[in-house]
Amino acid sequence: MNLAHVHLLLNHFPTIGFGIGLALYFAALIGKKDDLHRASLVIFFLIAAVAIPTYMSGNAAEEVIKDKVAGGLIRAHEDAALQAFIVMEITGFLAWLALWQYRLLKRAPGWSTPIILLLSLIAFGLMARAANLGGEINHPEIQAPGAVDATAGWARDFGAFVVGHTWVWPSCETLHFVGLSILFTTVLIVDLRMLGVAKKISFSALYQLMPLGMLGFALNLVTGMFFFIGAPQQYTKNPVFYWKMVFVILAAINVLYFMLLDQPWTVGPEDEAPFGTKIMAASAIFLWIGILFFGHMLPFLGNAF
Amino acid sequence: MMDFLRAIENAGFSRWVVESSSVFAFPSILLLHTIGMGVVVGINAGIDLRILGFAPAVPLAPLERFLPFFWVGFWVNTVTGIIMLAADATTKAINPDFYIKMAFVFLAVINLNYIKKRVFRDPLIDKVPSSMNSKMLAVMNLVFWLGAITAGRLLAYVGPVSGLSK
Repeated sequence: MNLAHVHLLLNHFPTIGFGIGLALYFAALIGKKDDLHRASLVIFFLIAAVAIPTYMSGNAAEEVIKDKVAGGLIRAHEDAALQAFIVMEITGFLAWLALWQYRLLKRAPGWSTPIILLLSLIAFGLMARAANLGGEINHPEIQAPGAVDATAGWARDFGAFVVGHTWVWPSCETLHFVGLSILFTTVLIVDLRMLGVAKKISFSALYQLMPLGMLGFALNLVTGMFFFIGAPQQYTKNPVFYWKMVFVILAAINVLYFMLLDQPWTVGPEDEAPFGTKIMAASAIFLWIGILFFGHMLPFLGNAF
Repeated sequence: MMDFLRAIENAGFSRWVVESSSVFAFPSILLLHTIGMGVVVGINAGIDLRILGFAPAVPLAPLERFLPFFWVGFWVNTVTGIIMLAADATTKAINPDFYIKMAFVFLAVINLNYIKKRVFRDPLIDKVPSSMNSKMLAVMNLVFWLGAITAGRLLAYVGPVSGLSK
């Protein structure tokens, strides 16, 4: 088992996941099925979360096979994957936002259907292309003639830009800290309330704070990708970073509990939260402090940097 | 002055913080400082944004209950901050960026005190929309903490080369 295995394991999820999500989304729109509609938005969101470590494991796989295959094939795959990844993350973010509004409106917000339909189709198409280019790396029998594009490599060019200018890294770090603080606003206020602080506030009121947390996460995903693309080997060789990504996926599942299940919504002013809600609130705080811990400890506990 | 700073920096505890390979030395102290920052700025930003009209369903008055958590974070960061300053006194104490950061932190705390008096002590809290004055205090508080984060992060990059930055 090496890091290339991780990429081989994860790399089917984005394409197949978005394929299933799209199929369900079409079925829901045609059949006007609300539950199916919400289910497909959940799939878009979770698959977008899984796409984060999937993208990153690609750089780890590259380390394993780079001496055995033509570099151009990997560069072309990486460029296609980054394009697909960007569109997929935007789709996941908007799917989450639609899901958030769904709870308030009891139906899909008007803006969401055309935008998410279009973006998820583009994301699916780009990801399928990236997957195909990835398959060609180790399957020369399916290579199209002239498939190797010698000029490819904008993902690497972007990485060179990040590390090539002294101002980019510190600026991204500062924004990463700002994003962390914004995310902590939501995590602390919502989850500490569920644990019994400031009980005058109902859960339905706190629900308004959740997009702020997602905005903080989005800022940190963007700035985090600057770091990753700038110096992928600092992360792909660092077990501490794998834990960080595992915790990010768990946190994505955790947030869905507060949006999809009815249990937290029973918490009105002065109410004690049900035990299950307290467990989910405590685990949210644990997960985000854990994510901060792993991120912070990258240079100290890991073997990279 | 420099002798004094050097003496602090060479004290046994300061040397341990810098030179120990234990993760409980510098890495953990900096970790606590970062978690403290998340708590301090997180809670302040929540109060500020609510004053500015974000999340209007959340009543403002009960948010005061989160201030004790802010103070825990604040004192954790004061202690860890002093330890890190002592460990690196000859470079940090002569770095203007350090004083910019301290100025932002002091302004933010003074500003928060005003928010406590003008907003949380206001008998009309949650009965009328936030006044322009309260909103100005909230904007200033956000700006001060943003300044503190920025100046703090840049301490690793600007000014004299420190023994700690890698």
